[in-house]
Amino acid sequence: MLDAFLAGAHQVFAFDTLIYMLIGSVAGIVAAAIPGFTVTMAIILTLPLTFAMDPLQGVSVMLSVYVGGYTGGLISAALLGIPGTPSSVATTFDAYPMARGGEPGRALSLGVWSSFFGTIISTIILIVAAPPLALIAVKLGPWEYFSLIVFALTIVASLVGNSLMRGLIAGVIGLGLATVGPDPMMGRPRLTFDSDILMPGLPFLIVLIGIFAISQLMGEVEDDGKSETKGALIPDVIEFKTWAVMREVLMHPVNLIRSSLIGVFIGALPGAGGSIANLLAYDQAKRSSKTPEEFGKGTPDGVIASEAGNSATAGGGLIPMIALGIPGSAVDAILMAALMVHGISVGPRLIMDNADLAYGMFIAMIVASLMMLVVCVLSMRLFLRVTDIPKQFIVPTVMICCVIGAFALNNRVTDLYLLGAIGLVGYGLKSLDYPLAPLVLGVILGPIAETNLRRALMSEGDWTVFFTRPISAVLLAAALLSVIFSIRSVLKMRKKNRAVTDEQDGD
Amino acid sequence: MTNGAEKSAAAGADASAASRARAEFARLISYIVFGLGSVYLSIRASALPTSRWEPLGAGSFPKLVFAVLAVLCLISAVRTVIDLRKTGHLSGLGEALAEWLKVRRFAFALFGLLVIYLGVLPYAGFSLATFAFLLITQLMIAGISKKTVIQSLIAALIFSVGLNLLFAEVFNVFLPRGVLFAG
Repeated sequence: MLDAFLAGAHQVFAFDTLIYMLIGSVAGIVAAAIPGFTVTMAIILTLPLTFAMDPLQGVSVMLSVYVGGYTGGLISAALLGIPGTPSSVATTFDAYPMARGGEPGRALSLGVWSSFFGTIISTIILIVAAPPLALIAVKLGPWEYFSLIVFALTIVASLVGNSLMRGLIAGVIGLGLATVGPDPMMGRPRLTFDSDILMPGLPFLIVLIGIFAISQLMGEVEDDGKSETKGALIPDVIEFKTWAVMREVLMHPVNLIRSSLIGVFIGALPGAGGSIANLLAYDQAKRSSKTPEEFGKGTPDGVIASEAGNSATAGGGLIPMIALGIPGSAVDAILMAALMVHGISVGPRLIMDNADLAYGMFIAMIVASLMMLVVCVLSMRLFLRVTDIPKQFIVPTVMICCVIGAFALNNRVTDLYLLGAIGLVGYGLKSLDYPLAPLVLGVILGPIAETNLRRALMSEGDWTVFFTRPISAVLLAAALLSVIFSIRSVLKMRKKNRAVTDEQDGD
Repeated sequence: MTNGAEKSAAAGADASAASRARAEFARLISYIVFGLGSVYLSIRASALPTSRWEPLGAGSFPKLVFAVLAVLCLISAVRTVIDLRKTGHLSGLGEALAEWLKVRRFAFALFGLLVIYLGVLPYAGFSLATFAFLLITQLMIAGISKKTVIQSLIAALIFSVGLNLLFAEVFNVFLPRGVLFAG
């Protein structure tokens, strides 16, 4: 273990890796500071740049973009009241009033320090939890794995978006897309309609770029007739009070640890990421506060909860990816795909077969959060200007970067046609309020689910085994329960809405 | 005064119910499209030959997946039809569609330009095609004025030729040179 740890550290602390990570950190902060551009998109754009690097170097750079991205969202959230990414929605609740109240520097520093501590706490939990979980995971057979994936998809569908049914439909569409092309066991072509474009299947990353990035960029240029409200201009003089704020954050240990734990837990659930964690951590902080009435008016507790919560999902999301080979979010799915591009199979054996890589990733997380901290403290003032870059430069340029990423993957022009078609489908689904994360996870989990299902039935040939093997039965029951709970909460919400409407009608 | 406020609130609630109903109607169409598509694909998958070595062949998993999708779409479609019949607010579909398209005209224009760009890319090469794509899209979004033309020209030049050089020289990723320049 120590050997692997040192080997990982040796690779991460190489000079060129550190330089690339520093650039990645800056790029993540800059990308997330631009309203409308998510951490996912920043990672997608980084991916083609890492093809020429070593696996660990590439993943370290992507992790630094990831960690930087979770922090960057707070800049526009605090200063303009616009969350830079969905992960920083709750940050606007208190950081913005604090900034408007004359303390923009304190709001930003609180966010940065909370993010830093959130990431560190989540990395510690990752280091402690992932190896034993992987040891258990290698003992799981194809029955348990298949049930685990069914469970993961139902959780994703019920947690993301506004409708369980649309979430499930999106997830199953993803599974369906993954079946196009050669079958994962025998290589027999399926559903290709004799088209050269479909013959190699739908590469996961093309689907991901098309679904997330192209549809998002198309959404950015929608014109709903409302003039853009430019937030308050950034004041010329901002006092960051870096060290005083660090002490202030550490004076709220319970909130910090609770929010980080919520972030880790939410991050470890497939599909749920920073966008849920920040709201949940904020809500919990408010519930357990002695002064809940201060929340929403610029209390430091609100900023700490939101930022520690969203940043901690970074480490949490890596737990199922490293231990089980099941990505917790779209970002983790891209990290997993980046490793697969380098020929590394991601699954419970990752930590055993490529221990240096797994431990290197843990070290890279810590280095990335330190870098984020240093970059933010030294040059936050510069990043504030990023929010001023006009849309006409960003949207087309990012689109070009997506095209490069899609092309560089296999050097196939036909992939670009797929990218365009999938982008349009993604935009259509987004317009109809289908959640996109389940679809993408469906595409990556599809071949894993199919291989395990076929293997499971190959030896026994009997479907009841899924219910008679205890772990598999528990996972399937959990999947069923997650659907039932989700339906129950929807029914409850409907009843409540109906009661409110009736009341209004009665008036 | 209060009456007026109540009336406008009621009108607002009516309008939002109508827009919700229209969104549900659009989703209903998507359920039907996905449902029919999945039934077709499920049938196609069943036509795949079975395997001699395992109980499940290449077609079993897609057949299962598309059958589940068809069932989910059917349930959603039935629920939506019931909801729509209850609320019965389905009016002004034509205008709503026109408004929907109007709001998204730039998005569709951007997509149209992307399709043309992807089609031209293998022939014109990365630098030339990207330069034209960036210039046109930037001007489309920002509008044409002396300032935007100059800014867009500079940005298009940097991100077409510059990106090509960066990827080729630093990352060893070679982007399409184009058949016009390949010889």
